[in-house]
Order: sequence, then C-alpha cells, then structure tokens
Amino acid sequence: MNGLLAVGTCHSTAYDGMSYTRGGTVDRADVGALVQSAADGDAAAWKSLVDGLGPLVWSVARSHGLSDADAHEVYQTAWFRFAQHLGRIREPEKSGSWLASTARHECLKLLKASRRWTPTDDPQLLDRPSEDRTPEESVLDSEEAAAQTERVRLLWQEFEELGERCRQLLRVLISSPPPSYQEVSAALGMAVGSIGPMRQRCLRRLRARLEARGTR
Amino acid sequence: MNDRNDGRDERDEYEEREEHGERDGELYDGLLEEELRQAATILDPVPAELRRIAVDAFALRDLDVRVAELTFDSLVDAIPVRGETDPPRMLTFESDGVTVDVEVTADGLIGQLLPPGPAGIEVLSGPRAHARLTADDMGRFTGAAPPAGPFALRLRTGREVVVTEWLRA
Repeated sequence: MNGLLAVGTCHSTAYDGMSYTRGGTVDRADVGALVQSAADGDAAAWKSLVDGLGPLVWSVARSHGLSDADAHEVYQTAWFRFAQHLGRIREPEKSGSWLASTARHECLKLLKASRRWTPTDDPQLLDRPSEDRTPEESVLDSEEAAAQTERVRLLWQEFEELGERCRQLLRVLISSPPPSYQEVSAALGMAVGSIGPMRQRCLRRLRARLEARGTR
Repeated sequence: MNDRNDGRDERDEYEEREEHGERDGELYDGLLEEELRQAATILDPVPAELRRIAVDAFALRDLDVRVAELTFDSLVDAIPVRGETDPPRMLTFESDGVTVDVEVTADGLIGQLLPPGPAGIEVLSGPRAHARLTADDMGRFTGAAPPAGPFALRLRTGREVVVTEWLRA
C-alpha cells in the first residue's frame, strides 16, 4: 500500500525504514475493500472494521487524558461519523487515519470544552470492576498466572508513570493490531518522520525504569 | 596494501559491532512494545458496550441523504468573550445550498434553517430518534437540549433530506 511506496522516498535510518513496513500496513491491506463492502451493505465487513480499527480509535481517546465518559463519547462520535460518511470517503484505504484524525479533533474539542483534564494514570484503570471479562483477564485470574499478572501490572504502572508525551505516543502505538505510522501521525498530529525516533526514546526510557526497579 | 586492508577490517568489525548493538536495541524495543500491547489488551481494552454501539452504528449509514458538514463551531472558531463563563455553543452546518444554524445551551436548542422554510426535524441520538421537532415557515425551530453523547439532526424539507455531522454538544 501507500506505506510500502513511501519507503523509497524516506530517509532510511533503521527506524524510519521500519516505520513504513510495520505489521500495521500489512494488516490494514484490506481496509479499503472492507470499507467498499460495508458501503455496499455488508454488515460483516463493517464488523471487521470495528474490530480492526476500534482499538486504534479507543487508544486515541485514552491517550488524550480524557475522563472515561468523554473517551466514550469520542469513540462513539468517530464511529457515527464514519458510518455517516461511508461511501463518501475519498481514500477508503486510509480509513484508519480518517478515524484517528476524527477522534483526535473530538478529543481536542472536549478538552477545550470541559477542561476536565485528568491524568491517565488513573488507579481505577488497574482495579477496574470486571463487568466485561475478556478471555485474557480470565486467564490472568488463574493462580498459575499470578506471576504473569504481577508482571503485566508492573509494566503498566511504569508505562503510566512515563511523561505525558511518551505515554501518549506509546498508548497509540500499542493499539492492536499495530497501527501504521500514517495512522499514528493522524492520531497525534505528529510528523511521520518523528514517530520512530520518539518511539525509540520512549521505549528505552521505559526499559530503564523497569531495570531500575529490578523487574528486568 | 595489507595494512590498509587490516585497517578497513578493523573498522568494519567495529561498525558491525555497532550495528549489532543497534539491531539488539531495535529487537528489545520491538519486544517491549509487543509486551505493552498485550498489557493494553488486558488492562485497557475497548469496552464491550462501546464495541456494540460501533457495530450497531452500521444502521447510521445513509447513502441517499446529504450530509451537512460542520463549518463553524464556536468552541473552536469563536474568540472567547471576557467574563462569559458558559457561552452558548454556536454551530453551523452546511451542505450544497442548505445551511443549519444551531445554538445549544443547557436550557435547550434553537435553530434556523436557510433558505427559510418548514421542515420536519429528528434529533438523533445513535441509531434512534431522540425527539421530533418542526421548523416553522421561517425555518425556525426550538427543542430541549440534545441528549448526552453525540447527536445529529435529520431535516426533511419539502425537497430533500439533510443530516448534520455527528457531534457532541
């Protein structure tokens, strides 16, 4: 896709090269076709889009430090608009970027409207009531997995204590499936070329924190 | 000749070591990112009810109506008036030839359709209509404040159907 074409034109440092060939662009290869099918009335294609791009939209809402209620509204607004514009989207294969950018603008508006800025290192996040148990959570409940649970909690805790910029970038980068750098750029209003170096710096900062804690 | 070769070999070896270091760093970065991704899937997944709402939003695709895009939003486009703590939200939506001005306050919603004319208006909250309003012959309409969460207006004039872009008031 466009990501692969861009390789030839970018400065080829290790991370820049990687930025265009991440799994994201490959996983996203059929987004354009799914959008077309959904516009033609295929509900299953729409569901695939929700599952493939929903975590990216959610990560944008989470990365802007909104309250839970506002994050929910951003997520809904982005999907309602996407449904509304389905069939009119000029570059269907870039729908991930479209959704990410729509979510970002809504985030900035809500921040402006409410100024209900709350840092994302919300202790509730770690002890969230378990209304919707994912299979992963159930696995973590089993006693054998207790050590693994502890490891995940520690990792997440250190992640949440990173500076705001790193937390924001990493939260979007770690949505699943991995987003392309174009999508990250749309999500955060950041130049594609600065994502790789920032990512590296943030991950190494996180690793240093983990090592200092003696967990690695 | 030999000396120069040796020199280059040493440098190559050095560069190779450097490259190894860089590659290892990249590898660790990738592994750590992947571990974080799994942690996010476990600790901060898309809430199930939100996923359901997004799946149901498929019903909102409406290929035969015109979408009136948001062209003015006082939250972004207006210069704040000093001393005004809770100014009304002014919104303008435009589609070819149709303009909808909406003012939203805690008390309610006031709107003006241009060109002026009667219209049936639905206040949408997700796939369902939340309320029905009527624009009078002058294109004016009023209603209760829109519901919490994103809303849109669907307007039926004599000639066409226009839906405003989804927005959180």
